[in-house]
Amino acid sequence: MEIKHQVIVVGAGPAGLNAAKYAANAGCDVALIDSGKRLGGQYWRNTGNEVLDQSTHHDFDKGSLLMDAVKANPRITIYLDTPIWSASIIDQRVVLRTKDSSFITQRLILATGAYDRAIPFPGWDIPGVMTAGAAQSLLKGSGVAAGKRIIVGGTGPFLLPVASALAEHGVEHVEICEATGRLAWLPQLHVLLNNPNKILEAFTYFLTLRRNRVRMHYKEAIVEAHANESGVLRAVTVARINSNFQVLSKREVECDVAAISWGFTVDTALALSLGLSASVASDGSVCIETDEDQLASAHNGEYKIFAAGELTGIGGSDLALIEGAIAGLAAANARETKRNLFKMRRKARRFAGALQRVYPIPLGWKDWLTPQTIICRCEEVDYGTLREAERELSATDSRSLKLMTRCGMGMCQGRMCARNISDLLGSNDEDRINGTKRPIITPITLGELAQEGLL
Amino acid sequence: MIHFSFEGVQLEAEAGQSLAAALIANQQRITRLTRINSTPRGIFCGIGQCFDCLLSVDGKLNQRSCITEVHEGMVVQIQNGN
Repeated sequence: MEIKHQVIVVGAGPAGLNAAKYAANAGCDVALIDSGKRLGGQYWRNTGNEVLDQSTHHDFDKGSLLMDAVKANPRITIYLDTPIWSASIIDQRVVLRTKDSSFITQRLILATGAYDRAIPFPGWDIPGVMTAGAAQSLLKGSGVAAGKRIIVGGTGPFLLPVASALAEHGVEHVEICEATGRLAWLPQLHVLLNNPNKILEAFTYFLTLRRNRVRMHYKEAIVEAHANESGVLRAVTVARINSNFQVLSKREVECDVAAISWGFTVDTALALSLGLSASVASDGSVCIETDEDQLASAHNGEYKIFAAGELTGIGGSDLALIEGAIAGLAAANARETKRNLFKMRRKARRFAGALQRVYPIPLGWKDWLTPQTIICRCEEVDYGTLREAERELSATDSRSLKLMTRCGMGMCQGRMCARNISDLLGSNDEDRINGTKRPIITPITLGELAQEGLL
Repeated sequence: MIHFSFEGVQLEAEAGQSLAAALIANQQRITRLTRINSTPRGIFCGIGQCFDCLLSVDGKLNQRSCITEVHEGMVVQIQNGN
């Protein structure tokens, strides 16, 4: 079945929702597509139970208003539970394929977001070790606390809402290990003072953490996980680390969940299969380049592809909302001035830049690894095997390493390991970008392909 | 409350929950055993990106428990190596 819309937005998180709203308000017929079952994306993931949703989000009202506005807009058609498995340009039109349909448009807005970055350590494949985003999604999406004793470790502001929500939900013991020092914000204080709403948000989390007696340790990291006889998590080793992430001393903490978060990785799969140009941000993440209108690619004005939100660089929901608005207006060719939005975007990007400087991830984590530590979780390729291939087989770029060891060739197509392997290899930008290409965006069975007449 | 089975044992869940959440609420952390080393795995990324929480749902393999909604009468099994 062919489905055509003037503007198609992929991703129903903050950027995509706002893009759809602005494009529709400017008079366009808009489709909003998401692989999830509800609007909101990862950020405003919800259960539909208002009381529960309010209790797990600090700003659910904002999201709820936006989602209601999008649902009520007659110019927006919403397609949920609709994963896209391939994207291509055919006859100057963008064609997005789902299991049973082809979506066709000449104005595409990509807002595919990001997912947690996890860096490897011995035992990180033990059940009970999960990303902080996973703990958050269990709570926000299903109202389930991931465990009874939870250590939240990694770096960045995301640790705070995750730990706060878990503690508020009644988890017996929550502890935070923040790899960066307590005073890391000092050099960026001017940026922080310019964003009083962020200070207020952090303050709210700190109050919640204090009320629930959640201890926050600085300059500490989870460096090893230990399984019990059933093979599930029983404890983690927490290390005191220096600013290069080298281990100074260790202690063991009993827990049933270790929720780890080392920033985010952008989901570029769809964007790169459409040939959009990418660059490597200062934190090593691959993101999509755009012009001031969020335009990423155009062909003689026949088709235009925009990118908004985390896809253009990790910056949080406020920046995503602004970029979504700009992309929506630009895709609709609206005459409305965007000057004010540009100004807001500059400010939000300055804040995002400061965040990256405050929470760096130096390569010292490679000293946490042993030769047996799994690096590619899908194909079970360990660090020793990777090092041997690099040394003995001269596999010094990620493609050669993949061909020699199968790292990055499993079900996740390198989503979890590609960035870590690039870091371990010291890859250049081109190698990093190539490492994030995923020709099949979401798995599809051969039977489904055959039904479409593509086999 | 809805009912589903996991490894032949009847468990309860709330409607609308993900299978991963329903299993964790029932103290079940292992969704599969890996192909090569046969080590246990469970939910990891929680949002359908990592493919670690694969299990068998109503006889269909390779289902991501984190993005599969639990349903009444679902028959769920650990995915063993395949």
